[in-house]
Amino acid sequence: MWAEPDAADRTHRVPGPRTPELVLANRAGRAAAAVARISDRGARIVVVTIALVWHLAIGLPAVLAARAEPAVPQLVIGCWLLVAVLGVLAGVRLLRDAPLPAPPLVALLLVVDVVVFAALGRAQVFGPANWVWGGLAWFFVVVLWRQPVRWLLALLVAHAGVGLAAVVLYDATEAADLARATMALYGTSSLPAAVFAGATTLAALSRDRTATAAATNAMLAERAAAEQARRERTERLALVSAAAEEVLTELAQGRADPTDPQVQRRCARAAARLRRLIAESDDVPHPLLHELRAAADLAERNGLPIELVTIGTPPPLPVRVRRSLADPLAAGLADARDWARLTVVSSPDEVVVGLVTPDAAGPEAAPPPTEDGAGEVEFHYERDGKIRWTQTRWRR
Amino acid sequence: MDADALASVTPEQPVGVAIIDDHPVVIDGVRAWLATEPRLTVLATGDDPDEVLRVAPAADVVLLDLRLHGRVVLDKLAELSAAGRRVVVYSEHSDPQTMLAALDAGAVAFLAKHEGREHCVATVLDAAADRPYVAPALAGAMVGDSRPGRPMLSDKEREALLLWFQSMSKASVARRMRISEHTVKQYVDRARIKYSRVGRPAATKAALLARAIEDGLIRPEEIGIYRSQAAADWPTP
Repeated sequence: MWAEPDAADRTHRVPGPRTPELVLANRAGRAAAAVARISDRGARIVVVTIALVWHLAIGLPAVLAARAEPAVPQLVIGCWLLVAVLGVLAGVRLLRDAPLPAPPLVALLLVVDVVVFAALGRAQVFGPANWVWGGLAWFFVVVLWRQPVRWLLALLVAHAGVGLAAVVLYDATEAADLARATMALYGTSSLPAAVFAGATTLAALSRDRTATAAATNAMLAERAAAEQARRERTERLALVSAAAEEVLTELAQGRADPTDPQVQRRCARAAARLRRLIAESDDVPHPLLHELRAAADLAERNGLPIELVTIGTPPPLPVRVRRSLADPLAAGLADARDWARLTVVSSPDEVVVGLVTPDAAGPEAAPPPTEDGAGEVEFHYERDGKIRWTQTRWRR
Repeated sequence: MDADALASVTPEQPVGVAIIDDHPVVIDGVRAWLATEPRLTVLATGDDPDEVLRVAPAADVVLLDLRLHGRVVLDKLAELSAAGRRVVVYSEHSDPQTMLAALDAGAVAFLAKHEGREHCVATVLDAAADRPYVAPALAGAMVGDSRPGRPMLSDKEREALLLWFQSMSKASVARRMRISEHTVKQYVDRARIKYSRVGRPAATKAALLARAIEDGLIRPEEIGIYRSQAAADWPTP
């Protein structure tokens, strides 16, 4: 009952892009993160260098010189080697910006801490072979980079606990020993803690500052675009008003005849353009709406009254999706006769663009160009003798 | 006030209409549209709702321009609707927010001014019978509604609204959805009825709902579904 003899009904999927374009809203955040990462890089190089140089240039000669002294020298040297390997691997990952598995590394360092103190024996607790007093704290800094400062402080406290426990268990509790232990802990922990806290603060500051700068730039760009859109609208309003005034003046002066179809058409066109201008409520038009308005303006110059109704705001769309949505409609508009109704209904997950024109003899609407990729935009075209109906639909 | 308080419209008597607009030329235009339908008679016109309804207290349907003397009269609309007046709003403000706000306030129907010629008579006749009439602009507003308290529409209802908004031809929508024109209208009207549960209660909303049940458009047990979607609760008619 509904199928007209010349009814053409085609539905197929139009391919869309695979990679989404940069979203304006995310730009500020990403720029801030990038700057923070770069400014943080210097501090990372410094920390990794200090840890490894200390380990190699200060820890190693002392351990080798006193290699016969500890109770179990193999364990002390083995742990030194283990931390050296761990330090190089962690340092490389840190400098390459790869994530570090902090909890297992921290556990390993604490185990090394305990094992070395146990293997040193009473005589070497304060001896040159005890490389963990001074060297280990820098590795704490390396493995805990970008973690909250309290984690490092907790680890330093644990380190101090291990050292003091060893001192107590070895019964080296004379005032001089305790003073030496405290000096060793304070002297070797304060600098890493300060560097760590300083770097964290600097990174946070630079991130804030970049975010502010990016947000300011985005706002300026937005304002410029809004200003541009306003200017364009004012110009179009002047143009449209002039056309409307002209026909109204002619009508008022009796030079134009209201029964003349030509005059009626001019009125309809002027009204449609004014309505479209009034309907533009967005400060900065979404690129899709901008393109459709441009197509409508172009078709209107050929004397076609066009109604353009938009509902909702389209989400940011990749360029190819936008093209797949707009191009078939723009082509349909160019072929339209008598009148056209262009509608855009948008929600965050769906954008449907529809074009309805009277069905007069004429060429069929060309399907949109086929691009590679997964189909994201559905194209529908039909004519039923009364109307030609072109619809493109994107679903997330 | 409940639905029974609304004056019932008998088929023999013509529907009395009051037109409220601050532009005489618009009143004359609307009057001309309505004059094509013998079942309608214009009882009073003017730019002051109270004044017009004092002259024509028996008006079955009030056609109200939403903007009177530079002011959007949503509060007046709510007052009239709460008092059981069937108000058909027509406005040049056809942005979705305004249309949905008018429905929330209790308007029986909303017409964008440029839709007047085609839909005015049908809208007024349906309004007088407490039946919904959804012109394309309102269908667009409903399909684009993203407010948290919006009613849940079925996929078919959404699709019918969307296609009706796009094409303005129920025959074309029917062909496209491969259903009858009558079913298209049912989907659209059901969606509209679901909106009678949104926003503040009004006698007009209760009347719409009652008539929809009477017509078999929705089943009484479905009301619970709408109730759960509604922002405010109110007694079943």
